[in-house]
Amino acid sequence: MSNSKKIERTAAIWVARRDSEAWSQGDQADLDAWLEQAVAHKVAFLRLAAAWRHSDRLKALGAGLAIGSMPARGDWTLSPFIDRRGADATPSAQTPAINPIDRGRDSARTKTGDSDNVARAPIRSRSKRLAMLGAAGLILCCGLAVVLMWQYGAAVQQAAYRTPLGALRSVGLADGSEATLNSDSAIGVDLTRLERNIDLRRGEVFFKVAKDPQRPFVVSVGNHRVIAVGTRFSVWRDGKRLRVVVTEGVVRLESNNAPGLESRPTTLLPAGSVAEVDDANLRIRQVALEQATQMLSWRNGYLAFDDTPLSVAAAEFNRYNRQQIVVIDPAVGNLRVGGNFRWSNTNGFVRLLEQGFPVRAKHSEDHIMLTHR
Amino acid sequence: MDEPIDIWFAREILAHESALMRYLQRTWPQREDIHDLRQEIYVRVYEAASRSRPASPKSFVFTTARHLMTDRLRRNRVVSIEAVGDLDELNVLVDEISPERHFGARQMLKRLADAFDRLPDRCRQVMWLRRVDDLPQKAIAALLGISEKTVEKQIAKGTRLIANYFYGDSSAFAAERKSDAISALENEHEQQQKD
Repeated sequence: MSNSKKIERTAAIWVARRDSEAWSQGDQADLDAWLEQAVAHKVAFLRLAAAWRHSDRLKALGAGLAIGSMPARGDWTLSPFIDRRGADATPSAQTPAINPIDRGRDSARTKTGDSDNVARAPIRSRSKRLAMLGAAGLILCCGLAVVLMWQYGAAVQQAAYRTPLGALRSVGLADGSEATLNSDSAIGVDLTRLERNIDLRRGEVFFKVAKDPQRPFVVSVGNHRVIAVGTRFSVWRDGKRLRVVVTEGVVRLESNNAPGLESRPTTLLPAGSVAEVDDANLRIRQVALEQATQMLSWRNGYLAFDDTPLSVAAAEFNRYNRQQIVVIDPAVGNLRVGGNFRWSNTNGFVRLLEQGFPVRAKHSEDHIMLTHR
Repeated sequence: MDEPIDIWFAREILAHESALMRYLQRTWPQREDIHDLRQEIYVRVYEAASRSRPASPKSFVFTTARHLMTDRLRRNRVVSIEAVGDLDELNVLVDEISPERHFGARQMLKRLADAFDRLPDRCRQVMWLRRVDDLPQKAIAALLGISEKTVEKQIAKGTRLIANYFYGDSSAFAAERKSDAISALENEHEQQQKD
């Protein structure tokens, strides 16, 4: 290998290393030193770093595609950003992105279109034998189209699950994933051979996603999409509010607040992330994995509080029980509580409050009112 | 890295790489030298530009190329001047070589997509997950069940190949691939040691 190629390879490794999460200040110092050694190092690195920066534009090609789904070579031409007719054509950025299922149908349609030509051409040539060949081709292409439809579009599982107040339910999905529905929750499941779509209609669901890079696992909540390939996370929908807790792997959070492709923020959430979306605001916290898991202890029938305002704790209990805790005095709502409680045992929780805090509880059939004592 | 000269270099000089590569391929008989020549040209351009920026970056690149080739011919007489032909042939009008290589955004994307499509399978997949899906290297390693070192190597390779195709032209890319094939044995050896 020539010297210049060796330098180029080294520069490429630097570009890749700099892109890794493990990149430290020490690494940066090493890179700087290497760059100072020779102008040849510098120009090689500049060139590759610029190419790397440009490659970020490839993102435009992924618009409308779910995570992990990579088009076949040359398939870009379907991207609204790349125009087959050339660069002079009118911009078509407003064209909605083609989703994978549509793409499947599209190619099926193209196949049938081709077969028409195959069938017509022989008639013009007036050769009976060719006509028969054409017919055979038509049948073959129709068959292909059917196979393509079946492979890409056909539903594998369509179902809906729900839980009443105070009940948990774990369901196994056809792809091997598992969904645990919290109290008063509902999901719609739509699995195809190309995508796995879950519609979270209400409540909270914990997902243990079976790994399948070819088929992204997409949880839709209103305008937001939470996308995973193989990971564990929970999504809680509370009216317009949304909370995502990730306990394993990485999930991607997408929101389309405005219709347009550019204005779609995408956020990556690694394990230990707690993301809360409220209208247009997104708040992400990184917590210890242990703490993230604790936030999901409802799966075992518990609620875990740690220096939690009583108003928040009460709201948590209210998700599980018909008898609702109502905090009358704001001062009471600001009290901090901690510990593990069975969510079915509201009365036990309230009794502990009365013993440990200046709180008085008044029980009625539907409510437990908390006032200052 | 983000100094004005670096930005200038990426924008004004690299944009002419494909024209430069074609020029070098036409005028220099030893293909295996071309990579080296390109680097040397960039070094000279960068050094000169850090003293003062040339008014016309494009003609400066080609003038530098011509001087470099002349120097090499005179210094080591391994290649006879006859083999290259008349030195005057090096004096082509810069604008005859190729039109400007500043791309519009859409052309740029088209070119990138083409470059991306030329990557080997694994490399293409890793680059897609990193660049389009925006997954961190660590997550890609976990997802594909390969080591983080391998992800890093695929990214390094992908960056090199994309740069060659994006800046250079397809024939340069092919030449690069050929020489890659020659050093394939060496690579495999590397691979085995590192994986």
